[in-house]
Amino acid sequence: MRAEEAGLSRAAVRAADGVLLVLREVPPPPAPSPGQPPAVAGNPAEGPEVLLACWDDGSATGFVGHVDLGTGLRTALTQIVAEELDLAPAQVHMQMGNTASVPNQGATIASASIQIHAVPLRLAAAQARAWLQAHGGAAALAGRHVELQLDLQASTKPVEDYRLVGQSVPRVDIPAKVHGEVAFVHDMRVPGMLHGRVVRPPYAGLDAGEFVGNTLEGVDEGSIAHIPGVVAVVVQRDFVGVVAEREEMAEAAMAALAVRWKPWPGMPGVDQTEQALRAHPSTRRLLLEEGQVDQAIAGAAAHMPRTYVWPYQLHASIGPSCALAHWHGEAAATVATVWAGTQNPHVLRADLALLAGVADARIDLVRMEAAGCYGRNGADDVAADALLLSRAVGRPVRVQLTRAQETAWEPKGAAQLMQVDGGLNADGTPAAYDFQTSYPSNGAPTLALLLTRTVEPVAKAFEMGDRTAVPPYAYAHLRVAANDMAPLLRASWLRGVSALPNSFAHESYIDELASAAGIDPVDYRLRHLPDARAAELVRATAAKAGWKPHTAPQSQAADGDILKGQGFAYARYIHSKFPGFGAAWAAWVADVEVNQRTGEVHVRRVVVGQDAGLMVNPAGVQHQVHGNVLQTTSRALKERVEVEPATGVTLNREWGSYPLLSFREVPVVEVMLMPRPGEAPLGAGESASVPGTAAIANAIFDATGVRLRAPPFTPEVVRAALHQGQLPPPPPEPRPEAEAVVPAPATGLPADARLPRRKPLWAVALALVVGGAATVAGLAGWRSAIAPVARPALDTYSAATIERGRLLAAAGDCVVCHTAPSGQPNTGGRAMDTPFGTVYTTNLTPDPTTGIGAWSLAAFQRAMREGISRDGRHLYPAFPYTAFTKMTDDDLTALYAYLMAQPAVAHQPPATQLPFPFGLRPLLAGWNALNLEAGAWKPDIAQTPQWNRGAYLVNGVGHCGACHTPRDALGAERSGTAFLSGALIDGWEAPALTALSKAPVPWTADSLYAYLRHGHSREHGAATGPMAPVVQELAALPDADIRAMALYLASFQAPDAPVRPVATRTDMLPGPAQRLFENACGACHHDGDGPRLLGLNLPFALSTKLHSDRPDNLLRVMLEGVREAAGPQVGFMPGFADNLSDAQIALLSGYLRQRYAPDKPAWQDLASRTAALRTAR
Amino acid sequence: MTFALQINGSARQFDTPRETSLLHLLRNDCGLNGPKYGCGLGQCGSCTVLVDGVAARSCVVPAHGVAGRHITTLEGLGTRAAPHPVQQAFIDAQAAQCGYCLNGMVMATVALLARVPDPTPKQVRAELSHNLCRCGTHLEILDAVQRAARLCAEDRP
Repeated sequence: MRAEEAGLSRAAVRAADGVLLVLREVPPPPAPSPGQPPAVAGNPAEGPEVLLACWDDGSATGFVGHVDLGTGLRTALTQIVAEELDLAPAQVHMQMGNTASVPNQGATIASASIQIHAVPLRLAAAQARAWLQAHGGAAALAGRHVELQLDLQASTKPVEDYRLVGQSVPRVDIPAKVHGEVAFVHDMRVPGMLHGRVVRPPYAGLDAGEFVGNTLEGVDEGSIAHIPGVVAVVVQRDFVGVVAEREEMAEAAMAALAVRWKPWPGMPGVDQTEQALRAHPSTRRLLLEEGQVDQAIAGAAAHMPRTYVWPYQLHASIGPSCALAHWHGEAAATVATVWAGTQNPHVLRADLALLAGVADARIDLVRMEAAGCYGRNGADDVAADALLLSRAVGRPVRVQLTRAQETAWEPKGAAQLMQVDGGLNADGTPAAYDFQTSYPSNGAPTLALLLTRTVEPVAKAFEMGDRTAVPPYAYAHLRVAANDMAPLLRASWLRGVSALPNSFAHESYIDELASAAGIDPVDYRLRHLPDARAAELVRATAAKAGWKPHTAPQSQAADGDILKGQGFAYARYIHSKFPGFGAAWAAWVADVEVNQRTGEVHVRRVVVGQDAGLMVNPAGVQHQVHGNVLQTTSRALKERVEVEPATGVTLNREWGSYPLLSFREVPVVEVMLMPRPGEAPLGAGESASVPGTAAIANAIFDATGVRLRAPPFTPEVVRAALHQGQLPPPPPEPRPEAEAVVPAPATGLPADARLPRRKPLWAVALALVVGGAATVAGLAGWRSAIAPVARPALDTYSAATIERGRLLAAAGDCVVCHTAPSGQPNTGGRAMDTPFGTVYTTNLTPDPTTGIGAWSLAAFQRAMREGISRDGRHLYPAFPYTAFTKMTDDDLTALYAYLMAQPAVAHQPPATQLPFPFGLRPLLAGWNALNLEAGAWKPDIAQTPQWNRGAYLVNGVGHCGACHTPRDALGAERSGTAFLSGALIDGWEAPALTALSKAPVPWTADSLYAYLRHGHSREHGAATGPMAPVVQELAALPDADIRAMALYLASFQAPDAPVRPVATRTDMLPGPAQRLFENACGACHHDGDGPRLLGLNLPFALSTKLHSDRPDNLLRVMLEGVREAAGPQVGFMPGFADNLSDAQIALLSGYLRQRYAPDKPAWQDLASRTAALRTAR
Repeated sequence: MTFALQINGSARQFDTPRETSLLHLLRNDCGLNGPKYGCGLGQCGSCTVLVDGVAARSCVVPAHGVAGRHITTLEGLGTRAAPHPVQQAFIDAQAAQCGYCLNGMVMATVALLARVPDPTPKQVRAELSHNLCRCGTHLEILDAVQRAARLCAEDRP
């Protein structure tokens, strides 16, 4: 089909054969409209605009400057064109938003696409149909090129002849999306494409002030030298980006790049929205004044001043913004092609041109779909980022913003303050309505322009607070004013821009008046609603919902703590600059349930009526109404941007702190669309959202008698309002969960536990003498080097011996410590932090110079038994030779044989240099005399062979005590009851493996086996941190060995521990901590009532991490995640270090402790501990 | 590092950095579009794929961590000519506005119906409770899942 031919630029269409075009001259620049979003005038030099192309194969292409933001606009426009041309929808293709081909129609905003901008397209189609009818149809176009100038008087089809418009048709874009075809800008790829990431400044979410673009101090490119595939680091003022061959390398470079920022002044106080808006300078703009407002208020029987506050909210697109730019070079006519998910292609093109210092027309902007944003998100910002990075490297670069970047930096939906003064007359009529609305307005210049200081970061006040500022009711004395003010946080329009908050105030206030007058709220509205079409909608919606007239809050009791209520609200969305245009009318009836104890509000059912005039695609309109209802319910109940009080920096970096409505909370929605086929089509994309919040607030009032004037209506807000000045009813006592009755840990070790004994005093004394002498001798060079030998030939040892050595190496986890992060296995260089300094592990491969290739078996045995290197130097006991010494000669030989059979890798790890006196290695002779019991393990004949095997593996090659046994002041493992009693190692807690364990359930041979074999135990949790690779290595060992280790370790558990219940608190009140847990962690961690996902969902109530005295292991897992799973069933977990602050991690971990280990004391100083572990990482 | 995966029924060998997530591997090394980057934290579900038939959030799975296992993406379900019943149900129910979360909704549904062929509405809501949708398409999606259950049942002999 010719209509779908790719790359239909305006020039190409105008040069094509077999086509009829409808053109219009570039409209004159719009009249200057101060305080409105930027518009970019069309450029006559680009030639007349093509609106429609009819092809000789009967197909047609419509050209539209607007874009489909997920609202089905493409489908509706297809219907309009197909209707006028009498074509099937499949014969019509829409070109939307590509600047090289479509007319400049400004930003896709205010639900105006159908209502206003589809008009010329429809005229063009009517005109083309007339021409085709007069000339014998599309076949007449063969070999011809016809151009018509748009005739504004063209006669369009009468509505009664419509066969497509007004019919529900399926969306044209869904099949491609449901099959994973290229649909989104995220899916766009071109040959030679690189991946870019940006590093944003610390002033997240602030875009005005002298510090913007002036805060970068320096970038240390050396910090990412170790990351392969990095192509460039691009720095321009405060704009910093990295480009790499692979996406994960760009991510790694972004995370690792050391960027230094100067101090910058914050924007304190924005967290207190009302005070911040009251204190912010503004310019009063009187929109309307009728009657004698002040006198009327003075004479009112009841004076009712009210204040309503709207929070900052997010666009919250599910897909963080992405763009692809290809810089073709200054010499090319088109210097760059940019694929972007923008809402305003021509404005963005102008921004990109400004950034690049070229004329608009030299940039091609290809608009592709992006994640639904309902306003302006980061789509434009990332397009500019991509352009800068592509220009720097001269290759196409795809830039993906991270979730944290999108959330923190997207231009927020602005906060708003609505102040009403008014009251009631004695007869119950409204006395007056004095309304002022304060809106920290927005333009949100494209970020790269600000960061590079291509434009000055000056906060400009827009005049955008005036949408639907005039109430719909007939107030005899009425004054409406907008207080225009510059932005505080970076902000831009979000669905129902300023109208939604304004209507929240109008519709809450009329409800307050009705209640004060003792009149049913719907009846009261109808008494004062002059718009007949509106009144009809209000009546119909109330009837459909089964509205129960009432004159006071009904507070209908339901089950338990629940109160039920019903609320009404109505609005017609008036968009664009005052006085603006009216879009569809909408009315809501919301049924809510409020839990008096917890404060939770559930919107159970919404009946919504809408009058959108003629509906092009009624199914599409219904779909939009559904979306508006659910999104508004989410905004009303849950959504609020959190900022750091001292700086104003956005704290939300993920979904846990900014939850959206979940499937669990979805209400029943009943839609009633008013049939108005004879009326003009009106914008339907936003209207149904406008009255929603007030309907919910009014329903909460009906349920509880409490009026809420500041969304979101979170449980803690509702709870506080319900229990003002008094404590909420006491929660029930924590109930033990029946199924969680488990044996409790005993505190004592079993009487017959075979603990390693402390050296008797006489032996210590002797050791000191011997050690002293040995140290002196050592300083004199007493321990000799063992002569280097040639690496043994490969056939020196049998395959069976080498295989046995492989298992021993696995049991000893050699590779874990002898491999640096992202280093080659066993080549050493891993830094081991000890109290005495950092020890670097050595190269264990048989390389003769950097590894152990020149070591004889005797040298190897001496190292393993005595901690002496081949060259005679003492090894530091970070190398656990005090354990390895227990290995048999045969095993040491097998291990040697295995290591020698591995590939030699020349690699010199960093040398260990401990500070004085620990740097004096001969001192270790004394240490050894005290702490080393050299020689192979001697079986305990009183025990079973299996126990002895376990003891040999645990204490010998397995060296479990190296991590799990605490050390004394000299760094030696302690003995007696300290044996395996838990220790801190490398910033992790290695928990006690004996009866001293803090776990709520004692270890058993079975649970130890499960843990060591599979990496997890239901009663304890999963192996994480340094234990995960240990379990991975143990996978090589036969079951019998794992059983033996488990049996041995189980002999240190208390026998016959008493049974006691483990209580999980089920009464925790909902609030920020619970929400953070539910939304940040709940997909994987739930009580069986969530999704089934790859990996384990082990009960937190039994987690060792949560019952420990220290929070360290929990905090580290939260920060770092689980990238190496101990076993295939365990699953993976992301690290939250870049997305949750210290305070958020503290909140979350404190909550988990309280909920799942309620019998344990709360952890202290969680935030500072988190900060410390974050740095140590 | 080198490892093998079965992707939509084909055996594939890879040599990628240890950091490579399954999501990046599928999108960048296999050229697949179904799984989408949404949060990188396993919170939103838009990157969902199946690992041995179980729903997995590919953004948090290191690719090498599922070596040797069977990966199914949206592209592996059905084609335009022969859609998988769940894909067909989502088209029938028009269960997308912007469609960015669609992949996760479809894949989660496939995983659910494989386990629970006739789920109750409560089960469906629980299964999708951590798949986020900004557009408010939840009602159409819930409808699509119930429709998919019926289509899958009809497909079974």
